[in-house]
Amino acid sequence: MASLVGEVMHLNIGPTEKWPSDVAFFQPYQVEQVTLPDYSNCLAVRTFLNMSGLKFDLQLKTNAEEMSPSGRVPFLKIGAFLIAEFDTIVANVNMRGLSISAHLDETERSEMTAYITMVHTVLYNAELYLSWIDKDIFSSTTRPRYGSVHPWPLSWVLPWKRQMEVKARLNACGWINKTEENVHDEIRACLQALSDRLDTNIYFFGEKPTELDALVFGHLYNLITFQLPDSRLTDIIKKYKNLADLCTRIEGKYYRDIKEN
Amino acid sequence: MGTVHAKAPETTMESHRPEFEGPSNDTDPNFKFDIRTVPVKVDRVVIDGVGKTKNDILEKTLKPVLSASNFKEMVEKSTEAKILLEKLELFKKVDILIDTSKGKNASANGYEVQYHVEERKYPILNVKMELGAHSANESDVVVRMKYPNMFGRGESCTLDYSRVFKDDGGYGFQFSKPINGDPDIRIGATIYKGYTEFPWSSFKEISRGTALHLMFPTKLGSHCLKWEGVWREMRALNRNTSFAVREQAGHTLKSSIQHVLMRDKRDDKILPTKGYLVKLTQEYAGLGGNVEFVKNDVELQYNLPLVFDSIIQLSLAGGILTKVDQNKDIKINDRYFLGGPLTLRGFTVNGVGPHSDGNALGADAYWLSGLHLYTPLPFRPGKGGFGEMFRSHFFVTAGHLGNVNLNETAKENFKNLTETFRLSYGLGVVLRLGGIARLEINYVIPVRYQIGDNVDKGFQYGIGISFL
Repeated sequence: MASLVGEVMHLNIGPTEKWPSDVAFFQPYQVEQVTLPDYSNCLAVRTFLNMSGLKFDLQLKTNAEEMSPSGRVPFLKIGAFLIAEFDTIVANVNMRGLSISAHLDETERSEMTAYITMVHTVLYNAELYLSWIDKDIFSSTTRPRYGSVHPWPLSWVLPWKRQMEVKARLNACGWINKTEENVHDEIRACLQALSDRLDTNIYFFGEKPTELDALVFGHLYNLITFQLPDSRLTDIIKKYKNLADLCTRIEGKYYRDIKEN
Repeated sequence: MGTVHAKAPETTMESHRPEFEGPSNDTDPNFKFDIRTVPVKVDRVVIDGVGKTKNDILEKTLKPVLSASNFKEMVEKSTEAKILLEKLELFKKVDILIDTSKGKNASANGYEVQYHVEERKYPILNVKMELGAHSANESDVVVRMKYPNMFGRGESCTLDYSRVFKDDGGYGFQFSKPINGDPDIRIGATIYKGYTEFPWSSFKEISRGTALHLMFPTKLGSHCLKWEGVWREMRALNRNTSFAVREQAGHTLKSSIQHVLMRDKRDDKILPTKGYLVKLTQEYAGLGGNVEFVKNDVELQYNLPLVFDSIIQLSLAGGILTKVDQNKDIKINDRYFLGGPLTLRGFTVNGVGPHSDGNALGADAYWLSGLHLYTPLPFRPGKGGFGEMFRSHFFVTAGHLGNVNLNETAKENFKNLTETFRLSYGLGVVLRLGGIARLEINYVIPVRYQIGDNVDKGFQYGIGISFL
């Protein structure tokens, strides 16, 4: 109850001013620690902020996940306020009157929300499935990365604990019994829908990027570049030429100065 | 089991002596009977009621009784053996019966010492409510199962389960075993999980740990050597938690070795009337895990009895925490805190020292001293009985909590420690709670404090097991 009130309070009080100069962006260490699904979310939020032209100070913390008010990364510190995860951050930016999708009409806006929800459910769940349930990827990539910042035996216990949480989540949305092939099919279906929507446009909704572009970039760019034991996923994405081109376009435009990718 | 005897062996011996010495010394000086000269041969020591308790530990404990050569010695040795049995917690009840030896093989001055014992068939189960043990203003239920003398050689097993009303509970399993039938030398092992809230710093912590310990006495006092491995998961308590505290959230694994030397010559732990206490603690963390520090603590107390049952008590405590790796900060859950109604009075619980947005951050070093004058309650209601649980006291407490700056000289650091100390005085009533805790209601006036301290002027009350 108290946190609910706090949430409302902070939504009311938080966005009274425009973007302050001391906004900090917290995420785990990119090169050796962060897991695939977490990094997609971090990249999506960063892209969104870059697209909005909002400045932030990127801070890498080994304990970013534990520091986050929601327990998930990334999170932003705007003055005294902390906001975590893509949807909340986008809502906060919109409330400050800094929205990049203000030019959309009602229909387009609800269409965008639908696509965002689809990406969240399909791509995020697929990433969770592949990194935490797929035995090869879990033991070769996810477990060593997630456990890398902890001493033994926590380097085993904590990934196992997180895996239990992911299993519970995937179980709740009916993904746990899918096979790897099923998951690839889901990804294909989602990408097909996105590819059809994008068609030959520069961005999903015309000339200007929206939060959907940021989210899709976050997931796809990460799926293409993330070091995984095999390249099947990359191959699937590359079949959708216009989506791959979108990623190249966004990278070129919004990450020109940032060479760390 | 005769716990009173086990805790105060001296008085037991005292009370036995007059019974036998009385006639020889005081009543009739011509009467030549002296129990010290009555020759005795202990023919047999019989122990009745033994089930699972092993013979070797009983033999070792009771053998000295056989060597008694006069009546007084026999009584003393039998009593000593009884106390030892009680300290080892082998039985629920021990009774001694001394009789002349009968039968064919009985010698001329033969005696038989009989021990009637009762073993514990079932573990002891108790359920209690604890107030404010894990988080302030919250009670939790603790279920404890204790099984003394589990395998017949004084091994004791304890199982705890606690449930905080609102949140996660905890459990604990303790095993302890006397070595060679000596109740003062013990080894033990513990496994536990606990949940604690730290409202003064606005964080919460789940700790899961295991510990091994060895207790042994030397001429200096009693020693406890302990290794502990604990995984601590720290999180911000709520959205208002200061960012300086939130930054430290996460998992830490501490593996430390600790040595405690305690020399306790006081007559009581809660309201002593005489004697002194010296307690020295050293801890080194960094045997594996990701927490490294060296911690040194000292606690001293001296009690001086005065006229009219009043007592002057002088206490001094201090601690210093040193980094091993200069680049690694020591986290909030290992730092020192100071202040509260039972320590540095006149301040809120752990309300002294550096703060950030109202959350106490703790520090690397502290000292605390207290001067108390304890007197019986005015007009002494309930003297000799209920009234002895209460004392009124006047006190002056002073202390300091701060960080040691390595860039400054020892002299400058010492200057910092002494110049910015806190001071308070007051008076109040102390109530002894069941031999382990105390309750105080005081009127306190803080005299010296620093900006950032949470001062609590006026009436203040507190319950706790640690106080100074």
